[in-house]
Amino acid sequence: MQRGAEENLGDRLIASWASGAHLRFASNDVRQRYQARAQLIVDTIRLKDTGKIPVIPAATQKFAFDYVPVTFREAMTEFDKAFDAYVRQYEDTDFDAYTGPEFIFPAGMFEALDWNRVRLPGVHLPDDKSFQFVEAEYMKADEYDEYLDDPSDWILRKYLPRLSPKLEPLAQLPPLRNMVAFFQGLPDLVLAAAENPGMVDAMRALQASGEAVQEWFEYLGRIDQELGGRLALPHLLGPMAHAPFDIISNYYRGWRGTIVDMYTRPEKMTALMERLLPWQLQYGIDGAKALGHPIVTVYLYKGADGLMSEEQYEEFYWPTLKKLILGLVEEGLLVWVFTQGKYDSRLHHFREIPAGTCLIHLESGTDAFLAKEVLTGSQCIEGNVSSAMLATASVDEVEAYCVKLAEVCGKGGGFMMDFSAFLDEARRENVKKMIEVAKRYGRSSS
Amino acid sequence: MSQELTDAIVSLRMDDAVTIAQRMMGGGTDPLAIIAESSEAMQAIGRRFADGEAFIPELIMGGEIMKAISHEVMPQGGGPDTKDSKGTVVIGTVRGDIHDIGKDIVALMLGISGYTVHDLGTDVPVEDFVAAIREHDPGIVALSGLLTLAFDAMKSTVDAIAAAGLRDEVKIMIGGAPVDENVRAYTGADGWGGDVGAAIKLADEWTAGGA
Repeated sequence: MQRGAEENLGDRLIASWASGAHLRFASNDVRQRYQARAQLIVDTIRLKDTGKIPVIPAATQKFAFDYVPVTFREAMTEFDKAFDAYVRQYEDTDFDAYTGPEFIFPAGMFEALDWNRVRLPGVHLPDDKSFQFVEAEYMKADEYDEYLDDPSDWILRKYLPRLSPKLEPLAQLPPLRNMVAFFQGLPDLVLAAAENPGMVDAMRALQASGEAVQEWFEYLGRIDQELGGRLALPHLLGPMAHAPFDIISNYYRGWRGTIVDMYTRPEKMTALMERLLPWQLQYGIDGAKALGHPIVTVYLYKGADGLMSEEQYEEFYWPTLKKLILGLVEEGLLVWVFTQGKYDSRLHHFREIPAGTCLIHLESGTDAFLAKEVLTGSQCIEGNVSSAMLATASVDEVEAYCVKLAEVCGKGGGFMMDFSAFLDEARRENVKKMIEVAKRYGRSSS
Repeated sequence: MSQELTDAIVSLRMDDAVTIAQRMMGGGTDPLAIIAESSEAMQAIGRRFADGEAFIPELIMGGEIMKAISHEVMPQGGGPDTKDSKGTVVIGTVRGDIHDIGKDIVALMLGISGYTVHDLGTDVPVEDFVAAIREHDPGIVALSGLLTLAFDAMKSTVDAIAAAGLRDEVKIMIGGAPVDENVRAYTGADGWGGDVGAAIKLADEWTAGGA
């Protein structure tokens, strides 16, 4: 990558994001509070001992919806109601940053295409349940070579038709690589359209899906302006990139197929991950530029303890993930590595990344105190307050655990308070206690 | 007994295992004996898993090999005689949750540990659990869920089983990543487990206790 030519991309984006250049602030006071919070987040990732513990939300879903209340179904269809829910939740809870409905996608985006990778509330599930992804074998075991040979062709003519019945006509297109000779392949291309009346419906379905996304983006923008410009909350969740192993497992082969491939065609899997790596790196960089956001989030799925052996992690999972993180860091970007599941045995790998560049999310299954020990002086950690505890335990139990986290993990900086997973069922008083402990610790040490 | 088949399964060599099973069939070995031996090999993998020496990929790959062998030697379906079953388990992921991997692994390992397992799948309505209890008369009901949103569905399932007058007939376990003792108390289940080993241990304790 082109580091050092002028000003580093990451430094430029950090400065602009932390100043709130993209927001219209309600007052100078709001601007100053926003800037102080954003700087505190950057400094904490940089491992500066600020004497404070920022408190951030991994993501809130039903927890936010209950402020109105709205159902999951409504949150995916009636954006004004969901907007109110997020505003009320953040008015009522003193976080230092916000994450919004980035994963509460518009139902219309999926429904226009009958997208079969999701189960939606109000369609397949009750209105008050979260939409969920279906993990299935969308790529067949014998299609690795086809993918490696011409990925876009496989995606256009195989993958999309399998994900959406509305897009099945795309399977009838000729390979676009053939559009070179005999009048540039034009007769073949247009014949495929003329012979398949479904093609027009496919294009209309794409357009309808796109209109739902336009409306959703407009709503995300309004939330950013309201929560950033009025409540002084920096937006934590910006660009994303994916671990190549997780792309194969979550989107192409399914977990079962991926496991079988690890034993029966490991060289094909590795070749595909190496192929995906530079694209994901560029995807993260382009996303950061487009959003003006310096923190690239990488959600991790299948690398957790128990999901594979350390040998398998080192052979299949970590090499391309490490290169992805290093590539982003090389651009000066910060990386929010969102581990999911128990991650105790993998933590030491993050010491291989330059210090003070990553924010490592920990779920409750991971031993946060071990993580502090392993990653002190290396990477910032956050999370670990169990969502189950916030839903079912007493305020005193929550306080006792959070105090221990603040005292042990907060020592010397490099720690943010956060819950363990996307927040649905949780008692408000428990969440407020978690926040209060973090703030109290900050006051007592500054 | 063919040590060769056991070795191929335990070392997760799918093609070899299937070829050996085909050869045994050709040589006149009883298909049920081949299935029984494959199950024993799977149990060996399960023991390594319980000891922390094997991981989920080994269990799933072992399960895939078992499936391939069963398909090969008993293409018409069927399975080992269940008269020696340790007990009957009805298992499913509760309403509103479609996660299946954890539930599938627990169902698989309960099966090869000697239980008769009726897997109701994912996103299972409470009435389906009640109907399955009436139909199969299990000693154990296992409710799975990965989402914290599943807690309420687990509770409603336990409540529905009680309302149907079946609560004293079954022991109920809940499992899944976010589950703990607080969640068990909230749902009214009899036990909880965070992994497959805990599920089998609970089932064994309950059946030994005459559940």
